[in-house]
Amino acid sequence: MSTVATASDPTRHFFQPVIVCLTVASVALTLFVIWISLHDLSLMRAGREKFIGLDNYLRFLGDPRAMAALWRTVLFTTLATVIEIALGLAVVLFLDRDFAMKRLVRTLLLVPIIMTPVVVGLTWRFLFDPATGMANYLLSLVGIAQVDWLGSPRIALFAVLIADIWQWTPFVILLVMAALESAPTDPLNAARVDGAREWQVTWYVLLPMLRRALAIVALIRAIDSIKAFDLFYIMTRGGPALSTETLNYYGYIVAFTNFDISYSLAVAIILTIFTNVALLTMYSVLFPKTGDR
Amino acid sequence: MAQLSIRSVSKSYGAVQVLDDVSVEVEEGSFVVLLGPSGCGKSTLLHAIAGLNPIDSGTIVIGDRNVTKLPARDRDVAMVFQSYALYPTMTVAQNIAFPLKMRGLDRRTSDEKVAGVARLLQIEPLMSRLPRELSGGQRQRVAIGRALVRDPRLFLFDEPLSNLDAALRTELRAEIKRLHQSIRRTMVYVTHDQTEALTLADKIVVLKAGKIEQTGTPLSLYDDPDNAFVAGFIGTPRMNFLKATVADDGKALLAGEARVDITHLATRLENGRAVTLGIRPEHLDEKDGVTLSLSVDVTEHLGSTSYVHGALASGESVVAERREDQPGFGETITLRFQSTRARVFDGEGSRIR
Repeated sequence: MSTVATASDPTRHFFQPVIVCLTVASVALTLFVIWISLHDLSLMRAGREKFIGLDNYLRFLGDPRAMAALWRTVLFTTLATVIEIALGLAVVLFLDRDFAMKRLVRTLLLVPIIMTPVVVGLTWRFLFDPATGMANYLLSLVGIAQVDWLGSPRIALFAVLIADIWQWTPFVILLVMAALESAPTDPLNAARVDGAREWQVTWYVLLPMLRRALAIVALIRAIDSIKAFDLFYIMTRGGPALSTETLNYYGYIVAFTNFDISYSLAVAIILTIFTNVALLTMYSVLFPKTGDR
Repeated sequence: MAQLSIRSVSKSYGAVQVLDDVSVEVEEGSFVVLLGPSGCGKSTLLHAIAGLNPIDSGTIVIGDRNVTKLPARDRDVAMVFQSYALYPTMTVAQNIAFPLKMRGLDRRTSDEKVAGVARLLQIEPLMSRLPRELSGGQRQRVAIGRALVRDPRLFLFDEPLSNLDAALRTELRAEIKRLHQSIRRTMVYVTHDQTEALTLADKIVVLKAGKIEQTGTPLSLYDDPDNAFVAGFIGTPRMNFLKATVADDGKALLAGEARVDITHLATRLENGRAVTLGIRPEHLDEKDGVTLSLSVDVTEHLGSTSYVHGALASGESVVAERREDQPGFGETITLRFQSTRARVFDGEGSRIR
């Protein structure tokens, strides 16, 4: 533990002020946000706000639109994370061999990650256009009737999900591929000699070795999915009929359409608490203290 | 009948020929060491035996089965890796039980066998630990346990001691030897360390650039090498090689110095032919025989004996063992050797007998 700064360590004069500033900034801002969320500040009634205690939070519990948005967020986050991890892992295991275009493929994988969400959203909006889009054209080739991708409340959320999966599965692939390449190959050979079939080598030896990397990627993707905003804004604006309104998007509407600042901050804090609880639970499941596997 | 037959096995990576028509017979219950410098193809050959590396041509027979086309899991061999290759996410007990689990053994028999192996290797206190909580020596013991538990026909060791420190290496080397003597299973062991090869092997196969240089018992390789490569590779310090010319009386004339009587060789060597004489350092400390004078550079004291490094008048450097005295820098000493100790090699390094 020799790297821990002691009282005599002069370098502390450099990092301690930074820590103090960051702490003050984040704590002060958080406290300020909580303080405002306990009022009824609205830009429609500027200057007449008063302290209302926990009313905004109670209002949230009784707000069906907010609860629906929360449920949608959970659904979207779970599906996006699970599908992206599963799909990414499958692609990595499939690509785990030497082939001529490996470097090219890896470069191509970067393209969706680099593209700005606005371009991704617009592109998918064109693809999902019911009359002229590529998606329906492809479906028509196999004889499936047209789908109103972004116009149907039952389907729109999944259309956005598809765009999100398209954009972020390559990210999972890149990280898991890096983990796979740094993993030792001797244990895999040992398992083969020990009598394991290829699927057993993957299941019993390779996947447990990749577990940490997968867990970290899953956490990153879950956090990003909860906060997802841009794709929704570009593709559906929460519609049709609020069917793609996530909690994050709802908070935005409350603040910048309804100008109900205090309530939107209460929504934001609930989203933050919810996210933290969910992620801490996920973290403790993925990285158990005992054994530390 | 041989337990393992490797017949005319060849393998190349692109333009590089890694194994070139290699044939080895391994008797049941014997300990065979594949010895050679790095890049000689010894590990490739071992991986080919295990079924981890496909070969281009040739046949590999284990027992009475031709396994050339079989995958590793069907070959009934066990392997110990240089990197230990333990399953990092499993405990020691799970690691050792893994081969049994893959064979569908029931839990109770499996537990009994694992406990038996743990007792044999004295790793019982470690059973619930993870590999990364073990030292190098403990890890390699676990890896040996994982190989032992299945009681396979053939054990393969791929430089198992190379990652260990010197003291542990000696200890584990003796343990492997003991193990072989007690279970009497066929073992094939790859190393670049000739000490390991000499101490462990019943038979050593010396490889160089994918070709077998010589096969034989440790003693025969040491006393009777087929070529200068084997002569130089086996034995520490290395054999001294001295340039010589055959004189008209059939004796070898060392550069500017002594005459060595090599007329006992079966081959008659013509006058003026250039040859190389190989003399081991331990044979240069005799009471009488051919004399050479050495000017000393460095003396290494090893307690029971010393090694003197120096140069002859011809400029050729020589290492000689010295049991009685320890000459210092700048001294000139006289070395004596029996001419029958000298091994004679031709210009290509092949032995002249």
